[in-house]
Amino acid sequence: MARTLGGVRGERDRIYVPYLLPALLIYSILFIAPAAVTIWYSFTRWQGLGTEAHYTGLANYRAMLSNPVFLTSFRNTLILVVVGGAFVFALTFLTMVVVREMRGRAFVRSMLFVPSILSPIAIGTAVGFLLNPDGALNRLLSDVGLHSLTRGWLGPDLIFKCIIAAVVWIATGFYVAIMMSRVDAIPEDLYETARLAGANRLEQFRYITFPLSRDALSTGAVLWVIGAVKTFEIVIAFTGTAGTPPVQARSAAVQQYLAVTGGISGTPQLGSAAAIGVVMFLLTAVLVVALRRLLRSEAVEL
Amino acid sequence: MKQATEKTGSIAPAGAAATPTRARPPASRRALDRMDALLCAAVRAVLWIWVSMMVILTLWVVVSSLKTNGEVFSNPFGLPKSPQWRNYRLAWSVSGFGQAAFSSVAVVAAAALLTMVLATPASYVLARTERRSASRIVTYFAIGMGIPAQALVVPFFLMANDLSTFMTDWVTGWWDDRISLVLIYIVMSLPFTVYLLTMYFRSLPTEIEEAAAVDGAGPTRTFVEVMLPLARHGLVTALVLNIVALWNETLFVLIIVGDPQQRTLPATLLELYNTMQYTSNWGGLFAGIVILVMPMILLYLWAGRRIVQAMTQGALK
Repeated sequence: MARTLGGVRGERDRIYVPYLLPALLIYSILFIAPAAVTIWYSFTRWQGLGTEAHYTGLANYRAMLSNPVFLTSFRNTLILVVVGGAFVFALTFLTMVVVREMRGRAFVRSMLFVPSILSPIAIGTAVGFLLNPDGALNRLLSDVGLHSLTRGWLGPDLIFKCIIAAVVWIATGFYVAIMMSRVDAIPEDLYETARLAGANRLEQFRYITFPLSRDALSTGAVLWVIGAVKTFEIVIAFTGTAGTPPVQARSAAVQQYLAVTGGISGTPQLGSAAAIGVVMFLLTAVLVVALRRLLRSEAVEL
Repeated sequence: MKQATEKTGSIAPAGAAATPTRARPPASRRALDRMDALLCAAVRAVLWIWVSMMVILTLWVVVSSLKTNGEVFSNPFGLPKSPQWRNYRLAWSVSGFGQAAFSSVAVVAAAALLTMVLATPASYVLARTERRSASRIVTYFAIGMGIPAQALVVPFFLMANDLSTFMTDWVTGWWDDRISLVLIYIVMSLPFTVYLLTMYFRSLPTEIEEAAAVDGAGPTRTFVEVMLPLARHGLVTALVLNIVALWNETLFVLIIVGDPQQRTLPATLLELYNTMQYTSNWGGLFAGIVILVMPMILLYLWAGRRIVQAMTQGALK
């Protein structure tokens, strides 16, 4: 017997709860609830399993504000987000100016994306070997007579700059891909007419590419913030986990990892670790909201 | 925005302007165009250098993985005298990359597949229902994408510990931390997967499933026999994206899995790297890098366009 569309929709409604519930429950119980529990732990002092958690109020947060090591790690993370982000998007824009029409563009675009899918540990290990004091880069510099340029790349002064450079090098291809997937949708005749009017590449970017891909920029910037605040792997790949990474190289995530595992002292600080997690979430949330406001634009209908 | 359309809109259509009669541009204009050409050439050069650096770095890692330890240092940029395939044999058996590869494949496969099992039906009903709660639930899932893993490290660490103790003492008598890791990976993958798949199901036409339903197929049969094949492309994409993300995950392996022998490839590589100053097994280290990276490169060669599309367009929706 043929059924009506309305009846079919009603029938489909019966599967709504059973289909949705498993994912919703697991997500609520094992993701949202633990995230909330983290907030509670951040108000305790707790030196790991087998010991008691003591409620200490805001002590962890106050300690963070007066501890130079914590402050350095958070400042590093902020620098990475802001300075690294400036480089990533400056490079992305420059790439967008030329990559639409350059020879070998398909190859270049797919190559730029490759580091985004590779383990930062693998990249960091290989690049770390190149940058060692007696590593290959310094050797190469000496061999070609540029001995004055050899540096302790992974020494305390330069290591964080090297980390930022590595992150920019790894990440930029992803943001090029995000922006270009929007640029690809721009009709070619817009560029055609602009060229006939005598617009050069920069002007084409300024008046066509940039305004028509702006909504992708705000998404890209949000993704950058979410990703960059979590920076962890590349730091430990450069410094190893055997000792403790030098303070100058630590990001907030690395600092938290040391607090969970106990680092060199061997005593975990689960309360502080939770507090670092909460602050990292707040940092992400504030930056995302600020960016959304700053870059708000209506999507352009073509 | 308006500016752009006005500027280009005021110009005659391309066909009409086949032979534009342009006056000779003023000098300032020419200088500007010269600068533009210069900048573009510079950026193109930088892009090619950038891409070459990636290719060279990859080749250098592969070549180094075939060198003796002496050669890695004495001749970092040359070719090995004879390729040391034993580096791979030793990395696989002695340095634990064989075990780690097994752990990686097992953990990633289990987590990625179970994530799909949970997320696909949920996304389907979220995309198709007329209930008002649906859009709020999608947002609720999307919030998870903005919560950094670091906000979950402490409770996950404790839960994994409790689970292990509980199972060992009361239920099975044993526990494998890798099972806890699978659970954590599923939970971490759910927000993005549900979000991506809901968007994908929304983009699929409703006529086919409605026709199937009118013909007498129940909602479950419609889902399994009509929708899943129809959504194949999006499902594979989500699966591949989760595989890439989980294959490279390192933080939770280090924190949750206590026994180094049970850890996945990135953690094993890191551990080998940490022993370098005593073992100097550099050839083996590079072999380990290749073992960790090669599956992702092969995956990219197979499904590169799809990965890029999904990672970017999934993000833009």
